[in-house]
Amino acid sequence: MIWIDAGGTIARPNSAEVGTDMFVDFTGVTPDEHMDQVRAWVRSEELPADAAYEVEDLDAAEVQARLAFRLGAHARRGGDDDRARHWFAQAAELAPMDFSVRRAAMPLQEVDPFGEAFFELFGAWREAGSPYHGVPRS
Amino acid sequence: MSTLTVLTPGGSADVPGQIDGPRATLAAAELPAAIGWELKPEGLCRGDVCVPVQGLDGPTVDLAEVAGALGSTVLVDDQTAAVAISVPAQDRRAGLIGRQAPDFSLPDLDGNLHTLEQFAGRKRLLIAFASW
Repeated sequence: MIWIDAGGTIARPNSAEVGTDMFVDFTGVTPDEHMDQVRAWVRSEELPADAAYEVEDLDAAEVQARLAFRLGAHARRGGDDDRARHWFAQAAELAPMDFSVRRAAMPLQEVDPFGEAFFELFGAWREAGSPYHGVPRS
Repeated sequence: MSTLTVLTPGGSADVPGQIDGPRATLAAAELPAAIGWELKPEGLCRGDVCVPVQGLDGPTVDLAEVAGALGSTVLVDDQTAAVAISVPAQDRRAGLIGRQAPDFSLPDLDGNLHTLEQFAGRKRLLIAFASW
């Protein structure tokens, strides 16, 4: 979620939050603290300390991975599924922990994004320290 | 001359061009249609902004060289004749430092487009999720 103020400035950069308790057993994340912070910001301009967090830029491999993903999506739109798989595999190699690349490619390859491949990715991502270009979870 | 599909951060364009292995070339005159930048004596220009460049003075240009001059990188697919171009590095950095939310439009469930800007003057909570 991203908080944007009335003037169009990002008041708090992207963070992984949840809206309900639906997946709390899986994620360990509840919505309560975040929603309390949102209310405090809306009502009294109060910002949490992590609102100042500076999101780090993509590295060269992550940029290349996103280009490879786009070429894969383009190939798939053109009906060339073999070529699409080639690019999605290359993107995964370049950015193995990037959900924007890895999980987003799953349904484009007829892989269940809530299936075994996802849970394998999620486990590896957790073991790697949950890398994320956004406000880290404290 | 065949047709290249150029995938830019803002969309895509089909333009006449040539792919030879990892190299994609096209006529300099096609640059505005391909990437929105025009090659002028003062450099690569888009609107009032010009970026000085060297070595891009022929009738044909290499998209990797053009992208490099703009701080972008490219990836070429010689099988589908497509070229993907990244957001310029300085634009990404400026966005991260300046924190100005870029405007965009998305359709609602009825297909009506809404922009971020139309909610200006109010605090906005932007939620991205996948329903799968």
